[in-house]
Amino acid sequence: MRKTSEHPDTAAQSATSPDVPSRRALLIGAGLAGGAAVLSGGDAGAVQASGIAPPDNDSTLDTQPFYGEHQSGILNPQPPSAIIVSFDVLASDRAGLRQLFQDLTKRIAFLTKGGEIPAADPLMPPPDSGILGPDARPDNLTMTVALGASLFDQRFGLAELKPKQLTAMERFSNDALDAKFCHGDLLIQFCANTAETNVHALRDILKNTPALLAIRWKMDGFLPPNTLKKAGTETNRNLMGFKDGTANLDTRDMRVMNDMVWVGSQSDEPAWTHGGSYQVVRLIRMTAERWDRTPLGEQQKIFGRDKTTGAPLGMKDERDIPNYTDAAQGLSIPRDAHIRLANPRTPSTQANLILRRPFNFSRELTAAGQLDMGLLFICYQANLDAGFRTVQTRLNGEPLEEYIKPFGGGYFFALSGIRDASSYLAKDLFERSPA
Amino acid sequence: MRLSPTVTAFAASLSGLSLVALPAWSASGADAPQDIAVTIGDKGCVPMELTAPPSKVSFKIKNESKRAVEWEILKNQSVIEERENILPGFVSTLTAKLDPGEYEMTCGLLNNPKGKLTVKAAITVEDRSKPRDFGPEIVAYKAYVTGEAEQLATGTRTLVDAVKAGKLEEAQKAYAPAHFHYERIEPVAEVFNDLDKSMDSRADDYENKEKDPNFAGFHRLEFGLFSEKSTAGLNEYADRLMKDALDLKGRVATLDITPKILAGGAAELIEEVAAKKISGEEDRYSKTDLWDFQANVDGAQKIVALLRQDITARDPALIAQIDTNFARVDSKLAKYKNGGDGFKSYDSLTPEDQKALKGPITALAEDLSKLRGTLGID
Repeated sequence: MRKTSEHPDTAAQSATSPDVPSRRALLIGAGLAGGAAVLSGGDAGAVQASGIAPPDNDSTLDTQPFYGEHQSGILNPQPPSAIIVSFDVLASDRAGLRQLFQDLTKRIAFLTKGGEIPAADPLMPPPDSGILGPDARPDNLTMTVALGASLFDQRFGLAELKPKQLTAMERFSNDALDAKFCHGDLLIQFCANTAETNVHALRDILKNTPALLAIRWKMDGFLPPNTLKKAGTETNRNLMGFKDGTANLDTRDMRVMNDMVWVGSQSDEPAWTHGGSYQVVRLIRMTAERWDRTPLGEQQKIFGRDKTTGAPLGMKDERDIPNYTDAAQGLSIPRDAHIRLANPRTPSTQANLILRRPFNFSRELTAAGQLDMGLLFICYQANLDAGFRTVQTRLNGEPLEEYIKPFGGGYFFALSGIRDASSYLAKDLFERSPA
Repeated sequence: MRLSPTVTAFAASLSGLSLVALPAWSASGADAPQDIAVTIGDKGCVPMELTAPPSKVSFKIKNESKRAVEWEILKNQSVIEERENILPGFVSTLTAKLDPGEYEMTCGLLNNPKGKLTVKAAITVEDRSKPRDFGPEIVAYKAYVTGEAEQLATGTRTLVDAVKAGKLEEAQKAYAPAHFHYERIEPVAEVFNDLDKSMDSRADDYENKEKDPNFAGFHRLEFGLFSEKSTAGLNEYADRLMKDALDLKGRVATLDITPKILAGGAAELIEEVAAKKISGEEDRYSKTDLWDFQANVDGAQKIVALLRQDITARDPALIAQIDTNFARVDSKLAKYKNGGDGFKSYDSLTPEDQKALKGPITALAEDLSKLRGTLGID
């Protein structure tokens, strides 16, 4: 067996491996650059279209740090592809659970950095799915681990340590929850530039934790790559055709992140949670055909935004901030419009702001043969009660409900990060808890 | 931009562009007749379908066939307008002002297929900004809804009495006829969100499905009567449903029905069919989905009947299409009628008929979604 080598960084990788970037990566890079040149009509693409893309343009080498105060996959910009996987933990005791986190930590550290896959013995099943070839690229992969309330039941003696606001997700008035798509002991959010990288990582986890984890449910998500490239100036559209995320929290503002996203020492939460965040996942089906048969004016009133520009109704720019105390604006944006209920923009509702990180999903068909698609809603907050619970309670009964049906998801607690390889995910949960 | 008549005629005949896409007549040039070009060939007209405004129109008829032809506009087989003896290679002009509606046009030889001419109703700027208030239609619809709500209360009384008397078979028989009246006025009933959830939610709405203690209403009784085949434990649900039905009746009586509820209701009812009834998931225990299918269709047809005159005046092609698809649905459903007594089980619906229902239902959903816009209702 060859020794596994990991990518120290992009430059070193290019220098030490003569076959990097691979021919395939080059071809893909050239194809994308060519397409971009055609679309923009600019001359920037002309050089790249000649067929030789510089190696540092190869997005398969994009990496997000695994070690740090917080886990990746929360503040970093969303890549185009995601899989949310909820697991039942099969470990029978605390030692098994600890083993699970140690194993997960090792695999995530490797997968998010990338590296050479050990050679296979032809007589044995290969150690890796092989989806990414012999040299697994990080491809911007993040794997964010979160815990469900059920992990804190009697099995592992962790009940005393449960994050204070963590429960099984309750049913809201428009929900039609399907138990097959709800809750879970442990959640991993896979995000990467391509679906294959997420699938590779998921299969790696399954292969390496057979006795410890069983998939409970999963949902694939996607976002438009070309819009993501213009993050900051362009906003993703959801599958209802509306811009989604315009008024999201600014992830570059560390003070806001510390106040609104990360659980800190000023909270009354157990110490092991500090640096983590409450994560809410909601699987929200939309009635696509019916939505497409709804008058444009009504669609806009339901959201409170212009469908084309994204501007709040009666305003000019997507980023204009509505002033609901102004009589004229109060009239143009209905009281029950989605953006108005979600964020009433009053001093007291500032405490309810959440960091949204949703993806689109598209699956098969409903029993009636209609499209089954919608929003894989994900959000993070330091305070679950003040955050999602309050926002969703305000949204209960909104006109948008006619066109959407939440059917799954759950409440989870995303662990804090770990500083280096001497630690492992959830270590504080074991070491700061009674033996 | 206004093209010269020649250019317009040339462009239209060359590309065969549908004139529906050029609503120039509603905005400007009210006095000058609009030119509409049509070419007669050996096998028929090009295009075979024309759309004209209700104002004065100049048809430019070009004969590209090998013999002299006449061109006629027909309504119910009688000639409304005609131009005779157009020689090969010549263009003749016929200026006419036609009432909104559907016409036929002859296209050369008698055995050539006839073309279609649709004269649209004018939608002026004033029409759109000042939609009618639909006062009489709303009064009539209110009477319909009130009547249905009364029948719902009566039917629910029969169902509830049977449940509480422990008469399983009677209760089973009373289920679909009662629920039927709810389904006919579903968009109105759904205005009362709390009642709708209490009366008509399905097990799917709850994480623990049928076992969930919050699962109540019609479908909870349906589950007990048809799946568990017992009236045991249903009294409380029955009492609550009766109370809700009477509550609904009272609230409907004072409900202010808006033009939007009226015109939007037709689409909503058909969306219900498209999303739930066609799959047999609405009444999964009793298999009485075809009752509800018919009830939703009835409710939509009632609304279309009330608005028929307005729709016809504004878009005769739309009403024709709606009628055609309703007729298709009715004839398929009629196959499954149980004599005078409701409908056969959903299980007897053949896959072919289910598929044959999907087309017209989807087309109806599309067409009815345009009602509000067609009638200028925001």
